[in-house]
Amino acid sequence: MNKKYDVIVVGAGNAGLAFACTATKNGLKTLVIERNILPGGCATSFVRGRFEYESSLHELANVGTEENPGSVRQLFESYKAKVNWVNEENAFRVIADGENGYDATMPAGVEAFADKMEELVSGSRESVIALFDLAKKAEAAIAYLSQGKADPMVMMSEHADFMRMASHSVDECLNALGMPEKAQNIVKTYWPYLGASTDKLDLAHYLIMMARYIAGSPAMPLMKSHELSLALDDVIRRNGGEIFYNTEVKEIITENGKAIGVRIDEGEIYADCVVANCFPETAFSKMMDSKAVPQKALRLANARKKGELFFTVYLGLNRSAQELGIKDYSVFLFNSPDSLQQYRSMDSFDESFVIVNCLNTVIPTASEEGTCTLFLTTMLSESAWAGVNEENYKEIKNRIAKRMIELYEEKLNLSVKPYIEEIVIATPSTFARYLNTPNGTPYGYEVQPWDTMMARIMNANNEQFVENLYFVGAHGDRADGYSSAYSNGNSTAGKILREVKNSGKA
Amino acid sequence: MAKHNLESLNPLKFTELIKNRETEIAKANPEIPKEDLNANFLAQSLHPMKQTLKITEIIEAKDAKIYTLKGEKCAYFTSGQYLSVSVRIEGKTLSRPYSILSSPKDALKGFYKIAVKRVEGGIVSNFILDNLKTGDTLEVSEPTGSFTYEPLRDAELVVAVAGGSGITPFVSMAKAIVEGSEDFSLLILYGSRKEEDILLKNELDSISKNCEKVRVIYVLSEEEKEGFEQGFINAELIKKYTENRAFSVFLCGPQAMIGFADKELATLDLERKYIRHEVHGEVADPLTFENFPENTPETVKITVYSKGEKKEFFAASKNTVLRILEAEGITPPSRCRGGECGFCHSKLLKGEVFIPKELDKRREADEKFGFIHPCCSYPLMDLEIEVSQ
Ligand SMILES: Cc1cc2nc3c(=O)[nH]c(=O)nc-3n(C[C@H](O)[C@H](O)[C@H](O)COP(=O)(O)OP(=O)(O)OC[C@H]3O[C@@H](n4cnc5c(N)ncnc54)[C@H](O)[C@@H]3O)c2cc1C
Ligand code: FES
Repeated sequence: MNKKYDVIVVGAGNAGLAFACTATKNGLKTLVIERNILPGGCATSFVRGRFEYESSLHELANVGTEENPGSVRQLFESYKAKVNWVNEENAFRVIADGENGYDATMPAGVEAFADKMEELVSGSRESVIALFDLAKKAEAAIAYLSQGKADPMVMMSEHADFMRMASHSVDECLNALGMPEKAQNIVKTYWPYLGASTDKLDLAHYLIMMARYIAGSPAMPLMKSHELSLALDDVIRRNGGEIFYNTEVKEIITENGKAIGVRIDEGEIYADCVVANCFPETAFSKMMDSKAVPQKALRLANARKKGELFFTVYLGLNRSAQELGIKDYSVFLFNSPDSLQQYRSMDSFDESFVIVNCLNTVIPTASEEGTCTLFLTTMLSESAWAGVNEENYKEIKNRIAKRMIELYEEKLNLSVKPYIEEIVIATPSTFARYLNTPNGTPYGYEVQPWDTMMARIMNANNEQFVENLYFVGAHGDRADGYSSAYSNGNSTAGKILREVKNSGKA
Repeated sequence: MAKHNLESLNPLKFTELIKNRETEIAKANPEIPKEDLNANFLAQSLHPMKQTLKITEIIEAKDAKIYTLKGEKCAYFTSGQYLSVSVRIEGKTLSRPYSILSSPKDALKGFYKIAVKRVEGGIVSNFILDNLKTGDTLEVSEPTGSFTYEPLRDAELVVAVAGGSGITPFVSMAKAIVEGSEDFSLLILYGSRKEEDILLKNELDSISKNCEKVRVIYVLSEEEKEGFEQGFINAELIKKYTENRAFSVFLCGPQAMIGFADKELATLDLERKYIRHEVHGEVADPLTFENFPENTPETVKITVYSKGEKKEFFAASKNTVLRILEAEGITPPSRCRGGECGFCHSKLLKGEVFIPKELDKRREADEKFGFIHPCCSYPLMDLEIEVSQ
């Protein structure tokens, strides 16, 4: 095995796949190595009985419509990836318990969203419109910055609002905007999609994400995430790239401080550079010669907060969504209107918030006629899972699942339990086993005031710790989410292609 | 009227982002903690990639042996799950699923038990029976499979319909009920030809004697004896012993027995959620499927790509693609060997295969992009296939 590649990609998660698509499309000789038997990492599906379940996607941001394509659709089109998209009309329904609680169903589209908010909270419309205007400003600033120049004068004169948003929390900004409290709470519903608390998360990041969901026509692939991942697998093959599944990279080989290849069971494989879709700290601590890793890299990994833990329940029901009275695609069930209370609910698996999705309401063919699937998600903090051991595992798993299902039945006033034909429960340990991330988190590093998307982007050049070794994924600059991972993979490939070009090798 | 803007916030805070970041990094520990986080630790202990175990005891039974497999630590599991056991035969690594018959808590004590029954023409089972001795080591997978009791889904009473080696998962369930790691009522209807063919009878008898929640009824098809039901397990028998209680049926055994029992169950008008299957034994011969196309060539050319290597050979066509590959020493990962688990997922680059509808458990997009499960695909012509050995 002396073959030499331009690049070896460790892991075929969303970011690894997008990286490999862009790299192969531009002629780099690429090998992708994946531990699992399938591509996608989080982005997959599985079959139990007569049901196929979406494993992770609630909604994919910024797909847009055929007429008005968003960045994700454009990226897939540029690859000629064969995906059928199905757009989704309603943004979300949120039910918050407790004092000043509410039940709000919010439509997608800026005007419709603002109208609905006005209906729920009179006098809120203007501040909501102002918020979406800020989202546009944030996109413009990012576009300016991504050209590689950041003239402080231009920033101050044209992007001052962006500088404010990118350095102040969601809470600080919404208060400054004069948005009524209830409207603020409803606007903050999407925080679980970034998994960071709104007093720490900067508005720029939150707003870009939120606007991409509400204004950017979110969508789902017709055949679950497995379709996305196989479509990208297909692109890589068509472009002449190679993929080894069921193959674990045991070591990233370095020589004189540079990455030169990887070791798998069959031997060593060499390449000009290695792109890792696994966590940096996993690579540094388990897959590399410790002498090759600078101290600062380890300090950074330790300073960061790892993303929250996931716990999901997949149900195959033997009645249709209509028969059961399920109308909403996506419902957020919170213990309080206050997003910080919601965030803290993750500290207990008996209280954590729950998100419930019924794919059949968007894609009626998601399961056989007369049936439907439900996908329930909760998130937990590290401490909430710390007391679980082999012996109480199953009992705790069933207890959490039961609570999640019963909460949904109670809040939506419908009955689900008697119709469960199949049930699959995925715990943080299930995710840990499948993704190989710390605590199984699919969310990379949690955004902190010092570790924001912008701080990551601006420091990227100082944080390329090992020459020829790049990291892509949810732990990258754009943090978690399908669209972030695709975009991070794609832009990292762009960067390497520029470097190859500059060095005159291509 | 309020002005809806961010003017009150200081934009220059933005310029501190880099400095703040450097400060936080400088404060942090330069050593990555060695111990795993709890979710990773549990992932490792519940789902080890492989377990190396030693055979410490072999008990002979008619046409079968019970093996005790010991390890320093055995991964915990849920009764009803199986191990994919690997053996090396003539230089090839082959694996087969065997249900665990010991209890979950036994695993924590460091052992599993499995029963291996002699199968006509069986490669791995017969190899194990004829060659393995106490003291030998075996490599097995993590415990896996979804033939398990789910309190949120199943009725409190489970009717186990068992035949042959299909009794094993139910023995584990019965023990789990006794030791308290499961909580449901189990009525086992166990079909055998003659009394002497009943596997694990002593164990079953002593459990049902001491535990109210477990009841065992033996059904003999070729012998009439007092204390035994006679004939095949049918709808009448199920009705007789369930006495109007709601129940879930779990079936485990050879294909033929399951086929018969399924027809009987159809007359009971149960909702599909109350019937669950685990087939013991794969179907090598496609001619057992009614709609297998005629005129398929006897010999086909198979071209296989695996990690950049290419191999071509001719093979007799009447077999699963997985078995054809294994006979050539090409061993894609496999576990259930019945189409369910998706472990053998492979890309069919050229050619067509026959996939029996009842075994086709692929994901929707697999068909769109030409992926198959070789364990339940039969070649209809020359094939080119990529596998992940
Ligand atoms: C339940 C759930 C719901 C979610 N909902 C949404 C949603 O609605 N919308 C959204 O946009 N995002 C959602 N996400 C988040 C999103 O899925 C992730 O943030 C994103 O997919 C991360 O991509 P990644 O590239 O970091 O790869 P990962 O998915 O982490 O994949 C990494 C891959 O690398 C492989 N690998 C690791 N180590 C090695 C090694 N040593 N050798 C070989 N291979 C290796 C792994 O096997 C894996 O396949 C959800 C996630 C989950 C789990
Ligand atoms: S081995 Fe399970 S599907 Fe083929």
